[in-house]
Amino acid sequence: MTKTLFAKLWDAHVVEELPGGNALVFVDRVVAHEITTPTGALEIEERFGDRLYDPDRIVAMNDHVSPAKDTETAVQAQVLRTWAKRQGIELYDIGDNGICHVMVPERGYVEPGMTLCCGDSHTCTLGAFGAFALGVGSTAQGGAMLAGCLILQRPKVYGVELVGRLGHGATAKDLALTVVSRLGFRGGTGYVIEYHGPGVATLSMEERMTLCNMAIEAGATSGICPADEVTVAYLQGTQKQRGAADLDQRAARWRAARADEGAAYDARTTVDLTELRPMVSWGTNPGECSPIDGTVPADAPGGSLDYMGLRAGQPLREIAIDQAFIGSCTNSRLSDLRAAAEVLRGRRVSVPTIVTPGSQAVRRAAEREGLHDVFQDAGALWTHSSCGPCLGMSMGVLAPAMRCVSSSNRNFPGRMGAGGRVHLASPAVVAASAVLGRLASPQEVGERQVAVAGGVA
Amino acid sequence: MIVDGEILFVDRANVDTDQIIPAKHLTGVTKTGYGQYLFTGMPGGTDLLASKPNASVIVSRENFGCGSSREHAAWAIADHGFRAVIAEGFARIFLENAYTNGVVPVVLPKEQVEALRHVDRARIDVAAQVVEAGEHRFPFELDPLRKAFVLEGGFLDYLAKKIDAVRAWERRRAEMAST
Repeated sequence: MTKTLFAKLWDAHVVEELPGGNALVFVDRVVAHEITTPTGALEIEERFGDRLYDPDRIVAMNDHVSPAKDTETAVQAQVLRTWAKRQGIELYDIGDNGICHVMVPERGYVEPGMTLCCGDSHTCTLGAFGAFALGVGSTAQGGAMLAGCLILQRPKVYGVELVGRLGHGATAKDLALTVVSRLGFRGGTGYVIEYHGPGVATLSMEERMTLCNMAIEAGATSGICPADEVTVAYLQGTQKQRGAADLDQRAARWRAARADEGAAYDARTTVDLTELRPMVSWGTNPGECSPIDGTVPADAPGGSLDYMGLRAGQPLREIAIDQAFIGSCTNSRLSDLRAAAEVLRGRRVSVPTIVTPGSQAVRRAAEREGLHDVFQDAGALWTHSSCGPCLGMSMGVLAPAMRCVSSSNRNFPGRMGAGGRVHLASPAVVAASAVLGRLASPQEVGERQVAVAGGVA
Repeated sequence: MIVDGEILFVDRANVDTDQIIPAKHLTGVTKTGYGQYLFTGMPGGTDLLASKPNASVIVSRENFGCGSSREHAAWAIADHGFRAVIAEGFARIFLENAYTNGVVPVVLPKEQVEALRHVDRARIDVAAQVVEAGEHRFPFELDPLRKAFVLEGGFLDYLAKKIDAVRAWERRRAEMAST
């Protein structure tokens, strides 16, 4: 019988079938951060003693608000530190930390064929590696650390076939927004999105991470890409860093993380990458987005438009912005920073702009290329790595009615600050918008500069 | 277990967890004390909540609890005194968190949710899986395994009892990989 990749991952990890369609699913790796882990970690220590299933399967990091912003977040970070030390768990901390969904692949904690969980909904990012990775609550995460497994209902599989190749300034972020818009904000609920088809091979690992990162925004349990030579090449780099010796043997196993030819999906759709254009959101969930050259749709929900202070039919490129943010687990990797820098090079931002790399390693790599100079010469703020303004928890919080164009993943009411308005877009679109002070495509920035040059000549 | 109380009707689809409790309040290391922040991220949420100070049942629309995995959403709902959420649908992670924390998640079709708009109270017999409100009587489904967790707690104890089986499974997996 032919199998989807998800079916292979699921079947290889079911310890026991449980009543009501549930299963006990083995977890190869638990990722822990300071916001959601302390609660569950302390609870299981208190109730079950100093006994974890396997501390070597856990990796911890302070990532959301690091360094701490106040006493409460300092306590969270300190609890994570002392717990990790007590339990012998590897911890990444100030100076060498970053967003867990950026750090985990970068440091080689994910491999094809694995299952991973974290108390964080964007854990689905790691599905880019042919793994089943999902966000869970703090108690379930604690349970996975205590017992090595999760209780899960088996999701159905939504096959999204990718054909063609990205062009016309479209990026993986535009693909991710297109998929969420196509499936709908809740259309993926009860499903894992499995990407397949010839278009997958055209995407880099960083692009696949951006794509899988937003599976949760369609309500899906996770997003998964098959492993291929792109995956293997990336992993050989990270695994070498970790001192792994048996790379050829492991590469053969990695390559097995793909669907059988002709595998049957419970639902399916096809996206032609060639047709995609830069996107931007206009509403209050990530599914409410359109090509940036278009207008706010005539049938846009009134509630979303009221909150966003927009009207149906309004051209998206006329919307003035107050702030720009490049970063988050969706778009804070080196390729994202390069794309933003390409737009900002030799130009000036016209609104406050915050650029937050996804990890300290990304930050250093960007600085070796001089990207920090590009950003700072353009008048943007270049920060340390963290989740940053994305979730309105520490720096870069929006004031009511303030409008921010952001390379992050959520435009919910109040997400980046009470009453704040968020437009989601790719790093290049955010950069172009930062320059022009309104939602803009990167092509416009180029055109304008050409026009000015022409005038001078 | 019977949940019998006033209804707070939250007439919005996609009540995400940032609306239920904004991230700036996720700064604790325990499960308590989040009720004061409930719905502070929702436009008009604070006034809505204040309009029904004694309510113990939330009724809402599609995709309740979508977005972040923060269990704080379920803790805030429980801490504020709500014992059940009736909705047209739930996001997966919130649904799991509700079961784990004694918040009964009841899925009803759109027309039945609409009917609840016109009544003040609901009585939910969790064991029998039925909502009674005014003249209405709506049966509902629960996950048979997680139903025990919502009734009696014991999620972690259930997993703790599985540890030996999980270790045995992992040993078998290692043996198979080495052959």
